[in-house]
Amino acid sequence: MAGIIDLILSIIFYPPIYQLVLVGLTGSLVVVIFIIWFERKATARVQRRLGPYHIAPRLAGLPQLVADLIRYAFQEVIIPRTADRELFVLAPIVATVLSILPIAVVPLTSNPAYWPIPMDYSILVALALTTVSPIFLIVAGWASNNKFSIIGGVREAFVITAYEMIAIMSILSASAAVLTFNLVEIVEAQRIWYILLNPIAFLAAFLSVLMATSGFPFEIPESENEVVAGPFTEYSGLLYGLNMGAAYMKRFAFSILMVLVFLGGWSPYTPGEGILSGYLIPSLIVVAKAAILMMIFSLTRSIYGRFRLDQALEGAWRLVFPMAVLGFGLALLEAYLGVM
Amino acid sequence: MSVWVYGEQKSELGLEGTITRKIEEDLYEVFIGPQHPGSGHMRIIIRIDGDIIVEADPDMGYVHRTMEKLAEGREWIKNVPLFERMAIQDACNVTVSYIIALERILDIEPPPRAKYLRTLLCEINRIAAHLYGFGIFGVFIGHSTMYMWSFADREVMVELAERLTGARLTHSYPIPGGARKDIPQDFPQAARKAVRYFRRRLEEYRKIFLDNPVTRKRLEGVGIIPKKIAAELGVVGPVARASGIKYDARLAEPYDAYDEVEFEVPVFEEGDALARAWVKFEEIKQSLRIIEQAVDWLERHPREAPIHDRFWAKSPPLWKKVFEAEGRVKLLPLMANMKLPPGRAMARSETARGEIIYYVESDGKSTPYRVRIVSPSARNAIVFKYIAPGYKVMDLPTIYGSIDYFPPEADR
Repeated sequence: MAGIIDLILSIIFYPPIYQLVLVGLTGSLVVVIFIIWFERKATARVQRRLGPYHIAPRLAGLPQLVADLIRYAFQEVIIPRTADRELFVLAPIVATVLSILPIAVVPLTSNPAYWPIPMDYSILVALALTTVSPIFLIVAGWASNNKFSIIGGVREAFVITAYEMIAIMSILSASAAVLTFNLVEIVEAQRIWYILLNPIAFLAAFLSVLMATSGFPFEIPESENEVVAGPFTEYSGLLYGLNMGAAYMKRFAFSILMVLVFLGGWSPYTPGEGILSGYLIPSLIVVAKAAILMMIFSLTRSIYGRFRLDQALEGAWRLVFPMAVLGFGLALLEAYLGVM
Repeated sequence: MSVWVYGEQKSELGLEGTITRKIEEDLYEVFIGPQHPGSGHMRIIIRIDGDIIVEADPDMGYVHRTMEKLAEGREWIKNVPLFERMAIQDACNVTVSYIIALERILDIEPPPRAKYLRTLLCEINRIAAHLYGFGIFGVFIGHSTMYMWSFADREVMVELAERLTGARLTHSYPIPGGARKDIPQDFPQAARKAVRYFRRRLEEYRKIFLDNPVTRKRLEGVGIIPKKIAAELGVVGPVARASGIKYDARLAEPYDAYDEVEFEVPVFEEGDALARAWVKFEEIKQSLRIIEQAVDWLERHPREAPIHDRFWAKSPPLWKKVFEAEGRVKLLPLMANMKLPPGRAMARSETARGEIIYYVESDGKSTPYRVRIVSPSARNAIVFKYIAPGYKVMDLPTIYGSIDYFPPEADR
């Protein structure tokens, strides 16, 4: 009996399966449901409304998004005759899967038994994987064969070129400070959280993640009042739901990466031996920190409108990019002085 | 035909620069509307080169209801509920000048109490309409908080109007020679409370919207209408006043109690979207001042029937009893199929979106011979065609929201 349980546990906690399916797919779904609920509730509070309420008033409308998802799941998926059928269907699915892929390669514990891949170049691999999924949003816009979708896709392309460099520079500044590409070593090196040592890089990373996931001052590709829903204009039903969810899943993946790099990962806890203390608890700490970070991301919605495309790009290249370079320079200085 | 030069728009904004020309093949033609979240009941056909609008063609008329023709088949007084449908949150402002035109044909002047009552409702309506405009403007540039706030706060003004008239939106309040209802006893307190509330809220609006760095960046220098061009295009209302033209029908030709109350007409010189937002913001403040003054006046002066003696003297005793009991002027039966003497009159009033003009012609029957309406949104729609080219696609909602274009009013 104990053998069977051990077998099941070892299958569940086989790192690639655990991180991709449990943390990546299920965990991100749960976090996203909670975050969207939180975002709507926080915005509603600022705007003097109730927000989601009528589905389970005792839970303050928490399962609202579950209800929405069920509705999306049973809605008819309409594929326009003029659309490129295969790409139209594939693009949102691939984008969603790819957007959680970075979670499968980051360490959620310092215990080598529970690393999904060898960790020597893990920060590079994770960053590289974050850059894959946006392409499929452009593909979705192109395959829709709709003017609004194409304009939205082109805007997405502009925004990608603006934020990717910043995200990579600012997150890699940690590896410059610690002189390693190993995420575990970066986490372990943070006696003081890296956000305190290099707030400039954190701010740049924060802004780039907002841009990457259409967070509010940068909600440009889907800007409703010019391009309807941007690349997703022609989508309906589950495919639309996937498209919308993909942005939040991507934000979750970025948040986990940022937690590992800037916020000390599993920091107050020291992972030990065994599944419970070596894997489950540290990974939950990381996910909880990522959720808190996402809550902060979602507060911008009620404060800001959206920038114009050229203003966002100008801000990214003229302000945030130098900030990321400065953060990188600060990291090099810290490495030279041996702060970390 | 001059070639349009991008970026030269601000200095060279002349009407000859934007003559409609043959569509070049590499331009992208996008139909914004009528089924579009950012269009309202209209269509704007834009041709874009990259991200820059080269041509914009406002295609109006989707909610045209032949109001002028319908008016010819209805009795004089029954046209009021019809014209209110142009801008329901601005009901008193858009109909008061029709009533004034009728009064001019009848050659009567309403009693001062009725004038103050109308002015009061006009200003309540103006605030409600400006808040509506602010809400739409907010959601156009992605600021959902402004949208929710102003739509929620508009409710305060709508309820104030309900206390005064009995109806939330289409009040049908002014009638030839007077107004339909006197203020209820507790109205002054409620009005002063609302004014205090709004003074506080406006400060918060300024902080979250007008002084928000993101909003400022979006609005500053967008959709600039220089003073000369504004005069040539013939724009009215806040759009003209934001371009430095001090024109307001309330000043040009004071009607009702506007020559007795104190108020300022805010004028800004910049002529961009931000200036237009500020004009509306400052106008709300001035409207609050007028509401206070009107309420004070109404409280100080004795209650009397707010209708001209010519009608009131002829009314049956029951009507007078109803007025004494409820403060309500029951619509006189003689007014329903009243015949106006032959004649013609023109009147104008300042609605929230600008000056509205009525030309009314009577041939002695119980229905109008002709009613011509020139509504402010119809005059402001020209901004799309001549001002939008040269700006980015994302500036189109900014321009749209800032001129507060309202299709039902423009299409009539």
